[in-house]
Amino acid sequence: MACLHDHSCEDHDCSSDWSLYKHIDLSKISALNEATPGSVKSVFKAWEHRLNSSGEHLESNEGDPELLVFIPFTSDVKIKSISIVGGPDGTSPSKMRAFINRDGIDFSDAQSMQAIQEWDLAENMQGVLEYQTRYSKFQSVGNITLHFPDNFGGDITKIHYIGLKGEATQLKRDVVATIVYELMPNPSDHKTRAESGGGLSHVG
Amino acid sequence: MVLEATMICVDNSEWMRNGDYSPSRFQAQSDAVSLICGAKTQSNPENTVGVLTMAAKGVRVLATPTSDLGKILACMHGLEIGGQMNLAAGIQVAQLALKHRQNKKQQQRIIVFAGSPVKHEKKMLELIGRKLKKNSVALDIVNFGEEDEGKTEKLEALLAAVNNNDSSHMVHVPPGPNALSDVLISTPIFTGDGEGGSGFAAAAAAASAGGVSGYDFGVDPNLDPELALALRVSMEEERARQEAAAKKAAEDASKQEKGGGQHAISQDATMTENKTNDLDDESALLQQALAMSMDDPEVSHDVRDTDMSEAATDDPELALALQMSVADSAKDSASQTDVSKLLADQSFVSSVLASLPGVDPNDSSVKDLLASMQSQSDQKNEEERPNEEEEK
Repeated sequence: MACLHDHSCEDHDCSSDWSLYKHIDLSKISALNEATPGSVKSVFKAWEHRLNSSGEHLESNEGDPELLVFIPFTSDVKIKSISIVGGPDGTSPSKMRAFINRDGIDFSDAQSMQAIQEWDLAENMQGVLEYQTRYSKFQSVGNITLHFPDNFGGDITKIHYIGLKGEATQLKRDVVATIVYELMPNPSDHKTRAESGGGLSHVG
Repeated sequence: MVLEATMICVDNSEWMRNGDYSPSRFQAQSDAVSLICGAKTQSNPENTVGVLTMAAKGVRVLATPTSDLGKILACMHGLEIGGQMNLAAGIQVAQLALKHRQNKKQQQRIIVFAGSPVKHEKKMLELIGRKLKKNSVALDIVNFGEEDEGKTEKLEALLAAVNNNDSSHMVHVPPGPNALSDVLISTPIFTGDGEGGSGFAAAAAAASAGGVSGYDFGVDPNLDPELALALRVSMEEERARQEAAAKKAAEDASKQEKGGGQHAISQDATMTENKTNDLDDESALLQQALAMSMDDPEVSHDVRDTDMSEAATDDPELALALQMSVADSAKDSASQTDVSKLLADQSFVSSVLASLPGVDPNDSSVKDLLASMQSQSDQKNEEERPNEEEEK
């Protein structure tokens, strides 16, 4: 399900469409089977830099082309389409499977679970291919996990850019920011209205 | 302070009966396990630790990752020894247990105690290692016990396959006088990846660095905290009393300030000498401590009897007050009689003086002081005896 840009990018600023990367919670991104820990953060950048392969990119371990990327967002987003720029010489991923709002998926889970959507990828060296999603299923995405099970025959899999197109809502998931744990009840922390002098009715 | 879930794989095979680690390999391993659990839960309260056995009745998970230290210690108790260790199955079951941990945010770590020979092929171990690395599970190996040919090589191949950015370690512990846990404390297994050690590890290291026979009072504060506390308190009380005695001596005569310090120090020296003799015998040491705290009433007892026996029976409060005021001077006299004998021994005095910082025993002024002190102490004794006789 690939479609090509059929307009010139001069009169339409493509980069604003691909701005969902700004809503990614970068500190919580993780990837499994990456050769360099932390290199996964480098694939989320602006549209203009998608072909910039001089910096860091995501590589899998030697002899193992599988990759699993976990992307949490700072608020719920709607994802319209995804773009992947892989590496040359058969190191581009050939398949992509997506899982929505699932925490802590590892390879055995990913292989056994039913993905919410699967795509066959083409070698997208110029970064002009985008893969549309079944939009109704990607309406409130708190986090997305992308599983790349195979590549085009290379020893490792390289990904230079992952682009997400869509819109962000302002809704946030689990906002349990400040929790006070109490081992024992402390009456001074639980003043009732009567004690603190409020309330309409007083006795006596 | 890394948030981590750890699974410890315990080797309870027949090879663990051996006694080359004291008291037995298995006991040393249990101690190490409890130490690791303590260190992990202390470094981050949300860390969890689980335990499984690799031999005996087969690979069995004794405790799934939990932060309850008591549960882990309880399950280590009463473990049977037998059979052969199945390293591959143990690691795979540990990986499975970690996969189903409750808090998915925790990093996964497996700690393996490899004490018996490894019967698996190197290829198989490498395969397991690569699978662990793929799922970002770190592995720590404690290589102790049997020194099989090829065992170290296989374990190193496993470590190389797992190691991702130096998060996995291997420690080789040869048999020797040091306990397994003591050796492990200084390794990265305890100190984490260059964090500099948790407080627990540091405290444990300090305690063990004291050595088996080098504790303050010959008593391990961990083994018997009450005894250690009692000894320490009595030692401090004695020191405080001696300081008071030294102050009193300094007030009495002008030049006695330096001498009083020396009195106290030589008194201290005799005390510590006596103490070191009894260091091996705990009960004798306790007696010593008690005797020293009794010293005060004993000494004052004599004086009270000779001076104010009538007053004591009539008015206990007055007696107490008198006793306290007399105690100081009585102590003084007691200490002086003891010390005068010591001072007669010139070699002892010079050795004490040599240990004092800033005092040169060969200095002429110090020698003069010594001579004057001796004569003064003799004078004082003569004075006090007629005083007592007068009061009687």
